[in-house]
Amino acid sequence: MIQYLVLLGMEAEMLKGHLDAIVLAALETGPAHGYAIIETIKTKSASTFDLPEGTVYPALHRLEQAGLLSSAWTTPSGGRRRRIYSLTKAGAAALADRRKAWGRFSHAVDTLLGGGRAWPA
Amino acid sequence: MASVKRASVKGAGVIDHYVATLHRELDFDPALAERLACEVEDHLRDAVEADPAGPSAEAERRAVERFGLAREIAGQFAADSVDRQARRTWLTLLVAIVVTFVAMRLRIMWLDDGAAPALAPLIDRYGFLAALAVSAIGWFAFRHSLFAPTLCLVGLAASIAAGIVRAGLFDQGVPLLVLLAAAGEFALLGLLLVEVVGFGRRLRRTASLRGAAP
Repeated sequence: MIQYLVLLGMEAEMLKGHLDAIVLAALETGPAHGYAIIETIKTKSASTFDLPEGTVYPALHRLEQAGLLSSAWTTPSGGRRRRIYSLTKAGAAALADRRKAWGRFSHAVDTLLGGGRAWPA
Repeated sequence: MASVKRASVKGAGVIDHYVATLHRELDFDPALAERLACEVEDHLRDAVEADPAGPSAEAERRAVERFGLAREIAGQFAADSVDRQARRTWLTLLVAIVVTFVAMRLRIMWLDDGAAPALAPLIDRYGFLAALAVSAIGWFAFRHSLFAPTLCLVGLAASIAAGIVRAGLFDQGVPLLVLLAAAGEFALLGLLLVEVVGFGRRLRRTASLRGAAP
């Protein structure tokens, strides 16, 4: 039980460190509002990452301030007004960079933990 | 109008209370508070609609619980806002230093120091140099501390005050360029003061939201 809780805590910390990249990746398929972004993250990670939902909003705001996302209010017919976030060109480039960096990092850790080929490949 | 509604949520539901609390915790940035309150309310209403048991007070409570503590979320926003405020303060400081340097050089070129008190040119020069040295050290070592920009502000203020004394005692009339440079110095000093005060306020707010001493 304690091991499980420690593992959950580790996953939460790891997720926080990569939250910006995860949010960028969640918007890669198209614009979405906050709730849909969180649902995408939950679905794609098979609920492995289960941070408090509100955590995603500071990340969205940070990414928007950095010019990696843009956002605008929209009101669908008969629906509620929503703030929709989209990936900018700079955001798409940043996502590609972070993917490369993550690939190198995860390969190195995998090798060190004994699960992969010698590093660098 | 929306903020008036948020201020009085007596008798309202769990979501209304939560949104009002979040709005209050984000008081360091009213525009952000307003925008986020709308977004979060939308989010929580979506979550309630998606609840398998259907909309109810219990579903609202579950949605709020999954969302996280308002204070913690506001704390993350506050930490980000400190970073932005620090960048803005340092940028203003950099511009103030450049303008003060130009104004100081103009005073040296155009003014006769004979009529000024002996200390004025020294304070003008060394106040500026002290501000420059503190800002260089502060940039590398204490970028998120209020100490370095405050000390720079004092150094620049001393330099500018001494410069005004020099210019004021010049008995042949002060050239327009020197006056304009001094006006620029004053304007930037005021702006820097506003930024430093804002920086201090945001540092204190972040510390209080995160439960630590400033």
